[in-house]
Amino acid sequence: MTRRIDLRRVAQYGVVVVVAVTLNFLLPRLMPGNPLALIAGVDVGMLTPDQRAEIVARVGLDAPMWQQYLRYWGDIFTGDFGFSFRSSRPIVDMILERLPWTLLITGLSLLVSAVVGVLLGAISAWRRGTKGDLSMLSGMISIESLPSFWLGMVLVSLFAVQWGLLPSFGAVTPASDLEGWAHVWDIISHAILPVTALSIVGTPGVYMTMRYSMLETLGEDYIRTARAKGAGERRVLFGHVARNTIAPVITVLAIRLGFAFGGTVIIETVFSYPGLGRLVFEAVAGRDYPVMQAAFLVFTAAILVANLAADLLYPLIDPRSRTS
Amino acid sequence: MTAGTVAAGRGFPQEGASGEPSLLEIENLRVRFELPAETVRAVSGVSLSVAPSETFALVGESGSGKSVSMLSVMGLLPSPPAVVSGSIRLEGREVLGMPGRLLRRYRGRDVAMVFQEPMSSLNPVHRVGRQIGESLRIHRGVARSEARRQAIRLLDRVGIPSAATRVDDYPHEFSGGMRQRAMIAMALACDPKLLIADEPTTALDVTVQAQIVDLVRELQAEYRLAVVWITHDLGVVAEIADRVAVMYAGRILETGQASDLYRATRHPYTSGLLRSIPRLDRSVTTRLAEIPGAPVRVVSELAACPFDDRCPMAADGCQDALPELEAVGAEGHRSACIHHHQMGSASSLWPEGTAAGRQDSEEQPGDVVVSIRDLRVHFPIIRGMRESRKRAIRAVDGVSLDVVRGKTLGIVGESGCGKTTLGRAMVALVRPTEGTIEINGEPINHRSGRHRKVVQMIFQDPFSAMNPGMRVSDVIAEPLRIHRLADTDAIRDRVTELLIQVGLPPDAGTRYPHEFSGGQRQRIAVARALAADPEVVVCDEPVSSLDVSVQAQVINLLADLQARTGMAMVFIAHDLAVVRHVSHEVGVMYLGEIVEKAPRDQLYEDPLHPYTKALLEAVPVPEPDYDATQRTRLVGDVPSPADPPAGCRFHTRCPVAVEGLCSTVKPALEEVNPGRWVSCHLVSPPAGQPSVAH
Repeated sequence: MTRRIDLRRVAQYGVVVVVAVTLNFLLPRLMPGNPLALIAGVDVGMLTPDQRAEIVARVGLDAPMWQQYLRYWGDIFTGDFGFSFRSSRPIVDMILERLPWTLLITGLSLLVSAVVGVLLGAISAWRRGTKGDLSMLSGMISIESLPSFWLGMVLVSLFAVQWGLLPSFGAVTPASDLEGWAHVWDIISHAILPVTALSIVGTPGVYMTMRYSMLETLGEDYIRTARAKGAGERRVLFGHVARNTIAPVITVLAIRLGFAFGGTVIIETVFSYPGLGRLVFEAVAGRDYPVMQAAFLVFTAAILVANLAADLLYPLIDPRSRTS
Repeated sequence: MTAGTVAAGRGFPQEGASGEPSLLEIENLRVRFELPAETVRAVSGVSLSVAPSETFALVGESGSGKSVSMLSVMGLLPSPPAVVSGSIRLEGREVLGMPGRLLRRYRGRDVAMVFQEPMSSLNPVHRVGRQIGESLRIHRGVARSEARRQAIRLLDRVGIPSAATRVDDYPHEFSGGMRQRAMIAMALACDPKLLIADEPTTALDVTVQAQIVDLVRELQAEYRLAVVWITHDLGVVAEIADRVAVMYAGRILETGQASDLYRATRHPYTSGLLRSIPRLDRSVTTRLAEIPGAPVRVVSELAACPFDDRCPMAADGCQDALPELEAVGAEGHRSACIHHHQMGSASSLWPEGTAAGRQDSEEQPGDVVVSIRDLRVHFPIIRGMRESRKRAIRAVDGVSLDVVRGKTLGIVGESGCGKTTLGRAMVALVRPTEGTIEINGEPINHRSGRHRKVVQMIFQDPFSAMNPGMRVSDVIAEPLRIHRLADTDAIRDRVTELLIQVGLPPDAGTRYPHEFSGGQRQRIAVARALAADPEVVVCDEPVSSLDVSVQAQVINLLADLQARTGMAMVFIAHDLAVVRHVSHEVGVMYLGEIVEKAPRDQLYEDPLHPYTKALLEAVPVPEPDYDATQRTRLVGDVPSPADPPAGCRFHTRCPVAVEGLCSTVKPALEEVNPGRWVSCHLVSPPAGQPSVAH
């Protein structure tokens, strides 16, 4: 039995990365109109022919396609995503500046929705058909239908505006120069509302998956076998149900982790939180194409990494997936 | 040897005739499932007792309540929706209503259970050894290492080779037979007094079934076990049971010593079951007796004989009251038929009639419809990013066959022998790797599927083989529409005609597949297959998922339709008795090859290939007292078709293999006498005197 990392899987992901990067390279070049506007972000009509030629040469649009393509790959590996044409700053700096904030709130909220979703899902499935299960289920369905921006706005208006308990925007209090624990608390207090909003939005999906997966497992013949052996409820639950239930849940969680990045666009905008999502929103609003493309690559990478992690984790839980 | 008696109704004495105390006593057991839509009465007043060391068979079709009764003995019915009442006592101790803690101590230690599907009954994420040791850890509190040691001992005892290394395997690394052995090891871990085996061999090949039956019999003597064997297979019952109870609609209809039940049957249902199964020891020139209709589903309290509407003896009084079991004939023999004294011979009760076209097994071949030459179907094993050329599942590996107009070619073999793939290749559902398939002299075209006008298929599971969203008339009409064989009006007429031909009411077309029982759906599948008026119909296990009492209906239907239309049939099945009943010629497959092919009677009366012999000997004969212990048993499982043994592929399991010859030289399939082909070194042509049929 092999527990080595499945190289074939990793290679498949490599293929997907190449396709994604290639698409990202081709899209602005295939779109109608002058690619210059999309790549260099310049209001092309306003330039003199000389200026235009100068920019074309600088971003390399005069080179043959394959050279541009190789150069694009080189840029990615050296972390050169070009410059934002709104702020004229290197995009890589902007992303690195925003990434930690997004990681903070998505990481925390995913943790919360995973723990809460798995626990409530397990309780629900264990008491399937009871009043508790059904009310929890309908509660989750209602939450799932809440739009996240609305939820964010409600939280802001209650906790920040109405009661003044928590700050309503940003990741830190501007120009406050807090140090030590005060600084930590400042960050936490700013993160609470966005994390809460993201957690609430994320929990129903985990709950549903968990509940469904566990109901499925509870109906399996081997659970009956365990009971026939005289296993008590605790042994049935932790010895037989848990591991079989959690495998599909982990896959779902990993996929959510990838998509959580994209989900931050709305929440970060509502809370004016300086993360990647807000960067994307700003870029869209300002038609800052180079930034959008770089962010697209980061989102793609996040989804791929999360899926790869799930794929590699799965065989550890389910021995059947170890042999091909 | 037996001690218990069986009785129904309240207040029957539960002591054995000899006064020996029973091990298990069930009294007036009732189980109902309170479902949102309706209340299903699964068991309606069952009483029985099982003596220590006795083998008691509970026989019935699906929905008869046999499994539910025994699951209530284990306390394993989920409640809600199950509501159980009555009394279940093991060694005098009441099980119903036992508090959870006591119930858990009793399960697995006093009573253990083996289930039908060994794969799904084992936890896929735990090692086999751990699952066997678990009972010991629960009931005896032994340490992990000791549990593992015991697991090895038990695996060894149930016949797992090199148990010490296999103990750490996962269930998916075991074969089907090994999994069921592991389940038995698990059940025996804590030395129970009673073993409940719920259809333990139904999912297994006939050869493996024979091994498991032997094993249980052996262990029973060794552990002084009482066994309740739940089954629908009267052949297996005759082989193992001391006493039998036949269940129907949640009631016991007849019970007694196995020999009394088989020889002096006193209930029309039992005799119908016995008459309707194809048997190796009966003539095939007769048409099988049919029990009309399908098993009932009981939703309201029974107030009359539940078998009444399917019974040929139904008469005055049957509808008046629920018949109780009453003593008939021999001691302990009871029947719940008020007219049991009128039961004459079973053959007059369930007439068999003469089957059309069954007699001419030896007749000269007619024109060939399907001609297969050196067919190979290999499924590549995907390794890395490309297919490996060298390693492949050799599902079909060099098969040549002819299918003759108006005749049936039977294909038998264990699971994994390639018979299904062969059938699918004929319908062009899989593409041959090599070789040719010609239909009426023309190679089949894989692109258009046009030839499916000429070749049709009937699948095993009529539940999943039909689009649940289509009306029955559309299901049947689809081939006509695809091949543009008729216009709208003509299609409607044709569908009605087909429905009548397969014995369904003409208005069945307006309904959906889920409204029909399994047997009726298989009739719909037959109608669909016949719609385009094909020349060949390939039937892949067409009756194996049907209830015993319904199988005969479908078998007879296929035979009648063949006689009427002159179509050729390929009948693929694992059940040798069924294949014998429908076929004119039979091919035996092993690991992708035909090892023997002969006219039906020659093959069954005088099998030449050791594999054919072994298959035939493994078939349980529904006759108590038939001495099964003298038979040679095939050992082990079918080797992997990805890596077939060198020489004769069967030599690893062959009881007569010659060292040095069979393991190195591959025998050719040779004609030993006209129409009879065998591939075995020990059967050399000419094979002495050709055996004479009849």
